[in-house]
Amino acid sequence: MPDWYDTDASNYEICSFLGHSMTNIATVYIAKHIPSRTLVTLKKCYVEKLTREEIKLVQDEIILMRQLNHRNILPCLASFVTGNEIVSVLPLMGYGSCNDILMRHFPTGIPEAAIACILKAVIHALSYLHSKAIIHRAIRASHILIAADGHICLSGLRYSCLIVEGGRWQRKVHSFPSTTAANLNWLSPELLEQNLEGYNEKSDVYSLGVTACELANGIVPYFDTPTTLMLAEKVRGNCPHLIDQTTYICGDEGSGDDECLRVMAERKFTDSFHDLVESCLERDVTHRPTSSQLLLHPFLKSCHHSSLPDLIIPAAPFTAFTLPDNKEDLESIMASERMAWLELEPVSWDF
Amino acid sequence: MLLTSSVSIKMPLFGKSQKSPAEVVKALKEAVNALERGDKKVEKAQEDVSKNLLLIKNMLYGTSDTEPQTDIIVAQLAQELYNSNLLLMLIQNLNRIEFEGKKDVAQVFNNILRRQIGTRSPTVEYICTKPEILFTLMNGYEHQDIALNCGTMLRECARYEALAKIMLHSEDFFNFFRYVEVSTFDIASDAFSTFKELLTRHKMLCADFLELNYDKVFSHYQRLLNSENYVTRRQSLKLLGELLLDRHNFTVMTRYISNPDNLKLMMNMLKEKSRNIQFEAFHVFKVFVANPNKPKPILDILLRNQDKLVEFLTKFHTDRSEDEQFNDEKAYLIKQIRELKALPDH
Repeated sequence: MPDWYDTDASNYEICSFLGHSMTNIATVYIAKHIPSRTLVTLKKCYVEKLTREEIKLVQDEIILMRQLNHRNILPCLASFVTGNEIVSVLPLMGYGSCNDILMRHFPTGIPEAAIACILKAVIHALSYLHSKAIIHRAIRASHILIAADGHICLSGLRYSCLIVEGGRWQRKVHSFPSTTAANLNWLSPELLEQNLEGYNEKSDVYSLGVTACELANGIVPYFDTPTTLMLAEKVRGNCPHLIDQTTYICGDEGSGDDECLRVMAERKFTDSFHDLVESCLERDVTHRPTSSQLLLHPFLKSCHHSSLPDLIIPAAPFTAFTLPDNKEDLESIMASERMAWLELEPVSWDF
Repeated sequence: MLLTSSVSIKMPLFGKSQKSPAEVVKALKEAVNALERGDKKVEKAQEDVSKNLLLIKNMLYGTSDTEPQTDIIVAQLAQELYNSNLLLMLIQNLNRIEFEGKKDVAQVFNNILRRQIGTRSPTVEYICTKPEILFTLMNGYEHQDIALNCGTMLRECARYEALAKIMLHSEDFFNFFRYVEVSTFDIASDAFSTFKELLTRHKMLCADFLELNYDKVFSHYQRLLNSENYVTRRQSLKLLGELLLDRHNFTVMTRYISNPDNLKLMMNMLKEKSRNIQFEAFHVFKVFVANPNKPKPILDILLRNQDKLVEFLTKFHTDRSEDEQFNDEKAYLIKQIRELKALPDH
């Protein structure tokens, strides 16, 4: 893979449509970078439909991504404007997000050994971000991406904020992310409370705990709970947990499917996994570990990312040979983009 | 909790940093010198630069578990930085410093820049005597690998009128018209933010600058409005509207709306395919129509297109029914255009 991609739109050939992202602000494609013959992901934001604030959000995310450099954070390889689209070139993450993998293959959760690999990578990424005074604020399975070789990257940086302000490392941050409705279930009680106490980078550690439950249980805690009740539960210190034989109670959250419930009730997660999740979800921020402390947790000792593809069989990545074939979708999207450019009643002025 | 036992590890860097400001600055300067000379031990020099930069950054900002140093230490540090000429050296060698170190340079620079003693800003005064710092930073947009770091520092500088003045009145300012259009989107966006900050932050300074350099600025600006890059066109058109409608820029506005070529451009942009561009163009077009003393060439164009304009505006963005101000303005323009009369012949 080359370490530099160009900003010439004609060097990229779109192969297939992957999906929408950023609550439909962006469309995501797999494309071939012709000079290097490599596959990449193209994220296109159709600027004409965006408000000024949304354009700012897209700009800020790209600029931030260009200033980060960590193997477990999704890099922006290049970005340019073509027509009226802002295009970001991203590496192809063949397995998609952890949420995709859950949805398609693991309704009751991803195997524990795979989760250890995933969490380890995310904690490395968090530890880097925190050392750079950045709070991510949107840790969740859909923002954790996996490449065909098992390499793991964190994305979703548009929700992040800085701890350093006015030349000082702030003890607490108060700003509430503006476009965060979709992430509420993952956020920490102290962030959601929005009180004078504020929050700090350990808020991400709480979200990591929620994400661990999401990965292990197949569904995010509180998925069907009204928002206010979810908030009340978190503030009271009731925390989500891994569902297995030690914690399962009849009527516990789950997909409702009998077979799924049986699997959950019979399985057993290791003590160290339970311990990691409990410490991440500690209500009292001062007792919650920092991301760099978490790196030493015994649960993360045994894993290596190269074994990840074997651990998540039957999930399979997109590769050059298994691109999703959706020519029809692709054509209809392209056609509707062209429609937007049709001129209706051309006026001509007399100068 | 399995964790509590392992909590008390300390990062060695924070643990025993008893170096005095003078010592750190000296060590950093030596490392930057080695880096500049390009000795065979470049990696060692890079490492030393990064290590000392991090020490300085943590003295200034503190970290998640340490407080920043006392004001006296920070004052000593600033004084050492001025005396050693290190700020300029760091910026001149920015491309040689490794990735994270570049960001640390920007953070150290921005922190030192904000220093105040009463109402004085000693670093701003210092940079006024060394404008080369500003020119080197502006030139940073030429280089992909340091452009964003330089942008961060430039915008912090632009907050101070004295520094903004030096930048605006330098020949290098006109390079921004090129930077905001480079093909790399993140750099172009960043350059545009800096460009906008320089042209809008200090109202009187900006008005003076625009008046004094009217021809040069607007001939360059014309190119942005005609750019092939959609984002550049949309952003520069919006900024033009803001500039013309700012009351400080009254003289500039009067001059702009007296030129029939500018009116033609806006009328053409009104019927661009992009609705956002149409909308931004409307906010510039309205100034031409609302002008109570329209010069003859302007009036002639409006008269020649009187009926077309009325019809066009009547159908223009009718779906914006929520936007009261826009609808009032549109109704006002239609009325004005309808009532236009040719000047009596003499």
